[in-house]
Amino acid sequence: MNKRVLSFFVIAFLTGCQMRVLNPKSDTADTLTNLIYLSFGIMMLVLIVVFVLFVYFLRKFRERGKAKFNIPPDEKENKWLEITWTIVPVLLLAILAVPTVKATYDLTSKVSGSAGGSKGDAMIVEVVGQQYNWKFTYENGKESYDELVLPVDQEVQFRLTSNDVIHSFWIPNLSGKIDVLPGEMTKLSFEPREEGTYQGKCAEFCGAEHTLMRFETKVMSQQSFENWVQEE
Amino acid sequence: MNGMNVPFIGEVPSDIVVSWIVTILLGAALFWWLTTRRKWPLVWDYMTTTDNRKIGTMYILLSMVFFIRGGIDAMFIRTQLAIPENDFWVFQSQKYNEVFTTHGTVMIFFVSMPLLIGLMNIAVPLQLGANDLAFPYLNAISFWLFVAGGVIFNMAFFFNAAPNAGWTSYAPLATDTFTTGPNNNYYIFGLQVSGLGTIFTAINMIVTIFRLRAPGMKMTRMPLFSWATLITSFLIMIAFPVLTIALLLLMFDRIYGTSFFLGEYGDPVYWQHLFWIFGHPEVYILILPAFGIFSDVISTFSRKRVYGYTSMVVAIALIGLLGFMVWAHHMFTVGLGALANSIFAITTMLIAVPTGIKVFNWLFTMRKGVVRITTPMLFSLGFIPTFVIGGVTGVMLAVAAADYQYHDSYFVVAHFHYTMIGGTILGAFAGIYYWYPKMTGKMLDEKLGKWHFWLFIIGFHLTFMPQHFAGLNGMPRRVYTYTWEDGVFLLNFVSTIGAFLMGASMLFVAWNLYKTHRLTDPVGADPWDGRTLEWTVGSPAPEHPFQPVPQINSIDAYWYSKVERKRLPESEEARPSPIAIQTVAPVLLAGVLIVMSVGFIYGWVWMQIIGGIAALGFFIYRVFNDERKAVYRKEEES
Ligand code: HEM
Ligand SMILES: [Cu+2]
Ligand SMILES: [Cu+2]
Repeated sequence: MNKRVLSFFVIAFLTGCQMRVLNPKSDTADTLTNLIYLSFGIMMLVLIVVFVLFVYFLRKFRERGKAKFNIPPDEKENKWLEITWTIVPVLLLAILAVPTVKATYDLTSKVSGSAGGSKGDAMIVEVVGQQYNWKFTYENGKESYDELVLPVDQEVQFRLTSNDVIHSFWIPNLSGKIDVLPGEMTKLSFEPREEGTYQGKCAEFCGAEHTLMRFETKVMSQQSFENWVQEE
Repeated sequence: MNGMNVPFIGEVPSDIVVSWIVTILLGAALFWWLTTRRKWPLVWDYMTTTDNRKIGTMYILLSMVFFIRGGIDAMFIRTQLAIPENDFWVFQSQKYNEVFTTHGTVMIFFVSMPLLIGLMNIAVPLQLGANDLAFPYLNAISFWLFVAGGVIFNMAFFFNAAPNAGWTSYAPLATDTFTTGPNNNYYIFGLQVSGLGTIFTAINMIVTIFRLRAPGMKMTRMPLFSWATLITSFLIMIAFPVLTIALLLLMFDRIYGTSFFLGEYGDPVYWQHLFWIFGHPEVYILILPAFGIFSDVISTFSRKRVYGYTSMVVAIALIGLLGFMVWAHHMFTVGLGALANSIFAITTMLIAVPTGIKVFNWLFTMRKGVVRITTPMLFSLGFIPTFVIGGVTGVMLAVAAADYQYHDSYFVVAHFHYTMIGGTILGAFAGIYYWYPKMTGKMLDEKLGKWHFWLFIIGFHLTFMPQHFAGLNGMPRRVYTYTWEDGVFLLNFVSTIGAFLMGASMLFVAWNLYKTHRLTDPVGADPWDGRTLEWTVGSPAPEHPFQPVPQINSIDAYWYSKVERKRLPESEEARPSPIAIQTVAPVLLAGVLIVMSVGFIYGWVWMQIIGGIAALGFFIYRVFNDERKAVYRKEEES
């Protein structure tokens, strides 16, 4: 078999079971994954109830034999039933809304928090998106293109802006998206927890080669990072 | 880069050359067919009509043509994405962008909207016991504005200038700084012209529903499709003007050098607000009429009154209202702040409650009924689980923080196809099979209809279920390729197979149409054993069908009259009768607006002036040629 195809099946098997979004490698991504599982669980509950009723009613009340010509009597609505399927969804949504709001506040204050002053020990990386590449500038002025290098276990804060149209910065394993707007600065922060190489992508359609606007994120040990960032 | 390898034939990409040839051949074949079959008088009759049934039928016919167009785009998308690092024909880079932009825009504005509006045209007056829409002339104008918009938008491709900024046309990409050329001007004018027609339809529906209901048909006795139409019309009246304004501002940015969406004083995020203040209500405009169709169909084929009529109406109204309070859920990643994101997350989740109420009411309509599985019912049954899947992923997307992951990924593509195909398109198919006798006097073949359904629904889930996982594995939307390492090959491959199954299912529709019209006899007034007034008039529905007008004493009055083996009582009360005429003015107006739009699209001032003056001329002509004046004068005299 073609080597490429073989390697694909290996990769497909590995990633097939652990989709990037559900395989978090940072604190932020962790929170998001938990939220996704929670909402998925609650929604499965709803789905199952509907499916069971659907199949049951369909099998039980499908016309057959002589019953075909029956005229079923009109029924009065049952108040309790109607109340049930109003209140129960509200409760389920409330259960979902609480962690939603909490996570939204936690993560969003990291995203566009007050001037980023509070996080004293966060490393700052400036990000500039432009058709169709990414520029990363580190604290010491070092620049890299389409390659983001980060130390493990170190909180990093990104300050992002665009030179042209709107882009969106996304590293599925490490955090959700934040849009990158011209003339404005947005923020994002997370703390990578595992060394490795992760895909980064532009998620907002930005023109002809939006597809190719990707970058690679290398999370390495603090020591290797120091060496890399000092390198000319 | 790929963009450099586009195979050119002369100046123009080969796909466009092919489409020229195909269009010329098909056009010639159509011309020949119309001529040898002596169909031109019929064509002329339809072109000049103001009759609601004929206009509705034309809406549906043309939507199906656009459905084929948008569907072919979908096949190109899916073929290009079938395997990693693919190079199918010309569909990479900007070409791919043009394809998904036309696909999305056509499907929303020139397929889903007119399919529903067509069904409203046919069914709503009949359900109410009205003889036509309140303003038949305006209705013809609406339809021909839709035609004009559709022509303008579709013309772009033939002149190698298809829009390329997505159906959302986000600034600043859509401004002339970043997308030069006429491409996105076509988007602006296509939507502007057809949107105007949509607003007129909404006015027409509202007045018809308020003024022309049969005696005794209180609001609380209206069939649910009519209710849905009423509420949808209000949504249109509020949402579409916002689109009009957004498009106007974008046009000024593109053509006259203003900077609403860019630069020191402008802001690209303004566009997103305007677009989604229109756009979110728009998705409810697309779903509510489908809900109405399902309610009527499920009730008819369960031989039972719809369960929870009052809560059904309240739920539609609530969904409509909440629909205006959720637009920023499309903008969670823009950085509006935690408070805004939390509020919009909660309002969005709330919409699930009235939607859930509707689902349970449908289920309980079937309970204790006698459920007959006909083709329209099959589409309605397919809708319930499919739409509920789209609904629950909707709630997942409402979780603002989690949406940072889903946003703009294939998860979203899967979600909105589950709602739009699972809701609107299945609803439109259900409606077409259900009301086909009222349109044409014939009944579509049930067996072929079922083939259509099963292929379509299986193909649908095969296409879109895997896309959830592609999104979770990090595949962004609007990309024309992916790599082997991305690990989304199998998912995409299955998706492509499903898409071709859906395409194949449409062949059964073509076969069905042919078979029905060639080989079957006309049916009577009430082939489905229906419940509402449309089944009391002949098939196809004649012009001015309710003479005399029936007297209505309950919900589903026709059904209860059948149960009691009595005839519907006739009413003495008169209702204002809309006046039908034959006129080419709407067609000519459409032509003039096309000319004017092309003038703006290409910046030809002389053409703008000619088109503008001619359009103004129509208003003056209309002032002096109102067919209603003579009638009113006569009434006053007598
Ligand atoms: C045969 C059926 C269909 C298939 C296979 C299909 C496939 C697709 C795919 C793969 C995309 C994503 C393109 C991309 O992001 O690169 C897409 C986008 C879209 N589709 Fe469909 N689709 C189908 C029918 C429909 C229908 C019936 C509707 C509407 C009622 C619809 C509305 C849209 C919209 C609004 C977009 C977004 C376009 C954009 O990103 O600007 N599609 N479709
Ligand atoms: Cu991009
Ligand atoms: Cu929305």
